[in-house]
Amino acid sequence: MFSISFMQRAFIGCFLLSITYGLYGMFIIPRKIGFMADGISHASLLGIAVGLSIGINPLMPALILAAFLGFLLAYSADSHRVTSDGLIGIFLSGGMSGAIIIMAFMPGYKPDLFSYLFGNLLSIQNVDIYALIAFTVFSIIGFMLQWRALVISTIHLDLSKVINLPTTQSKYFLFIGMSIGLILGVKLLGVILISALLITPVMTANQIATSFKGTFITTQLIGVFASFVGIALSYSLDLPPGPTIALLLVAIFVLSLLQSKLSS
Amino acid sequence: MLTTDLKLNSDHVNIVECHDVSLTRNTNEVLCEASCCIPRNSLTFIVGENGTGKSSLALTILGLLPGSDGLICLHSQSSREPVLGYVPQSIDFPKQFKLTVSEYLQYSAEVKSSEIEATLERVDFPLNHIASQITQLSGGQVQKLLLAAELYRKPDVLFLDEPLANVDDSSEKHIIDVILEIRNQGVTIAIITHDWNMVSNYADHVICLNKNFACTSTSACFCKNSLSKVNIKNIQKVTPDPEHMHDGFCYIENI
Repeated sequence: MFSISFMQRAFIGCFLLSITYGLYGMFIIPRKIGFMADGISHASLLGIAVGLSIGINPLMPALILAAFLGFLLAYSADSHRVTSDGLIGIFLSGGMSGAIIIMAFMPGYKPDLFSYLFGNLLSIQNVDIYALIAFTVFSIIGFMLQWRALVISTIHLDLSKVINLPTTQSKYFLFIGMSIGLILGVKLLGVILISALLITPVMTANQIATSFKGTFITTQLIGVFASFVGIALSYSLDLPPGPTIALLLVAIFVLSLLQSKLSS
Repeated sequence: MLTTDLKLNSDHVNIVECHDVSLTRNTNEVLCEASCCIPRNSLTFIVGENGTGKSSLALTILGLLPGSDGLICLHSQSSREPVLGYVPQSIDFPKQFKLTVSEYLQYSAEVKSSEIEATLERVDFPLNHIASQITQLSGGQVQKLLLAAELYRKPDVLFLDEPLANVDDSSEKHIIDVILEIRNQGVTIAIITHDWNMVSNYADHVICLNKNFACTSTSACFCKNSLSKVNIKNIQKVTPDPEHMHDGFCYIENI
């Protein structure tokens, strides 16, 4: 398994995604916008459908659309007129509806579409790994610069402004960065369930850890472990990787919940 | 449009001055030509009934709300901009963060590990809770932690929004003692509250916001509305002229 080139790319890809999603998830969940991951990934199906229909790399229009939606969500986050969850719901339904309509006009069987919906171990190419490496480096540097601002603005927005932290900058970094990251993982994990790797490791870490630092480390470990085991199972049992990893994450979460209840 | 004037190397008796500050939120007029001062090294109370704009005035001075008109002057005794501190009425700490006391100090005020204990001792915070998660603390302990973090930043003016709101009766006196000690150390403190007892017991200066305010004489002012009547006695100075009935704001000195 480990000597096969596409599996090596799958493992490397999952490792990089686990690291970056763990970082973004640390702040998405406490801000109660975990639904945003689903909304962005599902809405990006519109970009994928456009790309497939006109014969270009479908991730390109999906990336542009996701970045734009991330920007809109960041812009509206502090708005009293439009709530974030409402907007996410509109993006999700609008994006998926548009994608299905476009696909209805596409003749014949659409194998690529299934891959983008649930992921495909064979689909990761070297260029995808390079993109993930670049995104991981960008995210790590961004989080190192924005970490304090993100922590305090998540706790209390006004307090972060009084301390003169780059609150607005960090918000746009978080929303747009996460949106782009979701699309970069679509090939491996699929649109439908990619949010599982963003949300579930943090939720599981919350059951186990007793400090912020502990939550961060545990999130990373759970994400890496689940994605590695999920990829291996996906290969061994010929299953789509996205649902396999998602189911494994759910199982780990349930176990952590039980352990938390029993120990308390 | 609201403008802010910063005066450095100033020995002005007031550290903050508001001149005709107005604020409108969602078409509602929250503040209307509010003029008041916060004297240096004082314990100033911003008081009034609910909805009179107490927090809005403080947030406008802090730069968190965009005033629609007026001037705010900040007088700094040094060559740097005055540091403004702020302790909100309540903070809903995300349970998912699992932040401990020491982690909060490190993130909010960049307190060095070696200085955490000294920082907490300044507000009489129980040191056996340094490693505790904030969500496990009592209301009084959280208030002390927030104070400790802001004090580490060495604020010139510290705004406290209803500091006793989430504190049980047994801890109230303790918090007040901590606040008085901070004032004695030279920090100007502005407290937003509707607790008139606290005002009458501890205030150096009072900014009273009440849309139904009526001053009948210099010896006593009545804050009159449909729900209550409150007497403020032993007033030495009232601005504007107390002989006239007026709506709006009154700055009361030396209760």
